[in-house]
Amino acid sequence: MGAGLRLAQTAKLLLGVWMAGIVVAMFLVIPPYVGLGDAGRIIVMHVPTAWVTTVAFALSAFYSARYLWKRRAADDSGAVAAAEVGFLFCALATITGALFANIVWGTFWNWDPRETSILVLLLIYAAYFALRSALDDVERRRRLSAAYNLFAAVTMPFLLFVAPRLADSTLHPNCAFIQGSTCDGVWLETKGVRIGQLGDVVLALQGLEQRGDVAVAYVEVRTPGLQNVALLEPTFELASGKPADRPEFPGQQFLLAVEAVDLANGRALLNIEAPGTGLLSNSRTFWTFMAANLGFLGLFIWLYRLRADVLVLQERLARREVVHELPA
Amino acid sequence: MTNTIRLELNDVAVEYGARRVLAGVTFDLRAGETLVVAGANGSGKSSLLRVICGLQRPARGTVTIRIGSATYGPSEALQALGWVAPDLQLYRELTAIENLAFFAVVRGLRHRQEDLEALLDEVGLGGRGGDLLAAYSSGMAQRLRYAYALLHNPPVLVLDEPTVTFDERGVALVERVIARQREHGITVIATNDPREERFGDYVLRLG
Amino acid sequence: MTARDTELSSRDPVREAPLLAAAWAVFRKDVRSELRTRYALNAVILFAASTVVALSLGMGPLTASRNADLPIIQAGLLWIAILFAAFTGLARAFVQEEEARNAAALRLAARPAAVFLGKLLFNLALLLLLVALTTVLFVIMLRVQVGNPMMLAAILLAGSLGLVAATTLIAAIIARASVKGALFAVLSFPLLAPLLVVAIQGSAAALLGRGWEYGVGPLQVLAGYTIALVVASLFLFNSVWEP
Repeated sequence: MGAGLRLAQTAKLLLGVWMAGIVVAMFLVIPPYVGLGDAGRIIVMHVPTAWVTTVAFALSAFYSARYLWKRRAADDSGAVAAAEVGFLFCALATITGALFANIVWGTFWNWDPRETSILVLLLIYAAYFALRSALDDVERRRRLSAAYNLFAAVTMPFLLFVAPRLADSTLHPNCAFIQGSTCDGVWLETKGVRIGQLGDVVLALQGLEQRGDVAVAYVEVRTPGLQNVALLEPTFELASGKPADRPEFPGQQFLLAVEAVDLANGRALLNIEAPGTGLLSNSRTFWTFMAANLGFLGLFIWLYRLRADVLVLQERLARREVVHELPA
Repeated sequence: MTNTIRLELNDVAVEYGARRVLAGVTFDLRAGETLVVAGANGSGKSSLLRVICGLQRPARGTVTIRIGSATYGPSEALQALGWVAPDLQLYRELTAIENLAFFAVVRGLRHRQEDLEALLDEVGLGGRGGDLLAAYSSGMAQRLRYAYALLHNPPVLVLDEPTVTFDERGVALVERVIARQREHGITVIATNDPREERFGDYVLRLG
Repeated sequence: MTARDTELSSRDPVREAPLLAAAWAVFRKDVRSELRTRYALNAVILFAASTVVALSLGMGPLTASRNADLPIIQAGLLWIAILFAAFTGLARAFVQEEEARNAAALRLAARPAAVFLGKLLFNLALLLLLVALTTVLFVIMLRVQVGNPMMLAAILLAGSLGLVAATTLIAAIIARASVKGALFAVLSFPLLAPLLVVAIQGSAAALLGRGWEYGVGPLQVLAGYTIALVVASLFLFNSVWEP
């Protein structure tokens, strides 16, 4: 018992140091990302909280299922603790995401697929808590809220499937969310097939040339309805073989990148990217990001266990009151 | 076959929140036996009967119904239980016959109109089968509860306040029902009327 | 003893009634009660009618020349009218059993799956009536152009199936709670979000007169949603229906 307690104390201390390190690294270690500037640093907070939210929701559903299976009060406490701490992380992910979106794209809310799913998740958690507070009988409260939690979990795959069809733009770096994008990009040639399409944007490769150690593509882009026509000049770093400048499509939040070039034949692989793509290809960013994921997961586990223990203790106290009422 | 029916309660406790109304009730009844559960208001009689019927979950302990070599929990043996209680409500917007016909179908019984009418006759509601329950007096409603509980001829009959709202002829009906149940099954009666303790082979007094 | 012992008594005390016959009996019982009391029917019909009238009074007939997004706006309004009318009526089937204290009698007599299926069927009948009424009023009073009526009907039917599949178990849950009305909408809405998105977009395509190739996707999603939720409900209903 004593050794276990000391271990728990040490783990808590380590967690504190670890999280402090992450906050420092967030500002000092990560290089500013081209196009996002300092605002890009928020991914160290935003993505891990969102990821922990998913873990919490799954854990809560798991404990609800186990409660219905075995009817043990501890499982219900687990489901509640996971939902409560998950709700906290869900709110944090929503707030950090909205702040980021406002700084970079000038809007707090965009009905982006992930925004939609996290909002619905918040509503489910809120409904779960509302249901619990409306049921007086303890056993019934546990049973019905567990059933609701599982029922809600069944609808989540549909939401995740449906949400991407909802918005015609995304702020998240996932090409699968961009309508009409196959993630593969298109090969265009200056002397052959010049015209191609990415998402709903029509591209025409006007030229390709080497300028110092980068290759520059001259691409004319037309958005649907010919509302915007622009000449973009994405570049490609020949030495590292990576895209360099990613200009933004006119009137859209997507970026145009050159992913590969074949200067001899005048060919270039062009792709549409959501902003933030390639953020993790920097190794310093990547490791800080992974450390943050681990740290937030640890934070979640600590808070979750704390809350679950309190709930179990409350349950025991309620039991003890029962015993006290009986004549000795 | 009928004498292989058993009703076993093992250490049944009932709690409402932090208040414990029953602690550790254990008994074992066989076919032909009648138990009277006596006690004042709030002593947990009704709760105990609801637990036997599976209408309430005990805080502790188990209820087992044995039929032959098979054992069932209360909610698994719907057709083995008949329940009459003041808080048993049938559908007020339906007639007595419609109520009985509905419960017969959901219980999977083959029924004819004449059978249902015969059952209504038996509980003293002959000729009133076409009336809506909303128009029934409390005594008539209690008689219909007996029709509901006896519809499937259950081996375990559970009667909570069996004569409440009944006149003398009603009490005679209860006596008839209990005597007949004694021939093939188990009866559990909850009452706070000392005169009704005569129905029982055993009396369980709750304090 | 009397004739009823041979005819009515069950020789096997744990024999269960045939599921579909019992479910059908629950459905017919609910329809009969509803036709006599008209609690849900009145509420739902009046709610639907007043929503449509309020919309048409407030906006007048909308014309396509004034707004290019008209079909999606109309589809959205139609589904919101349906959704909120459904919230007023679909909980009734279970709430009535609890409030009139009939639930115990039903619990002791019917197997849970039969109760669930009967209520599901009743809710579906009520909702289809509501959807038909709302849609007809909506199309007439707001002068909606329906480009592909058959596809609209198919989407409305599939959407109704999904709506009923999601809300019937919720109705059984909230029937045991202390604040029923508000809770029903609060618990149902997050689960209905994917259904609403698909149904509104599919209905808009139908209003626009698009071909069936635009309807197959939404119909498949709605069918999958319905099946998944009915199966999940059947698994969970036993725990919910326990006293």
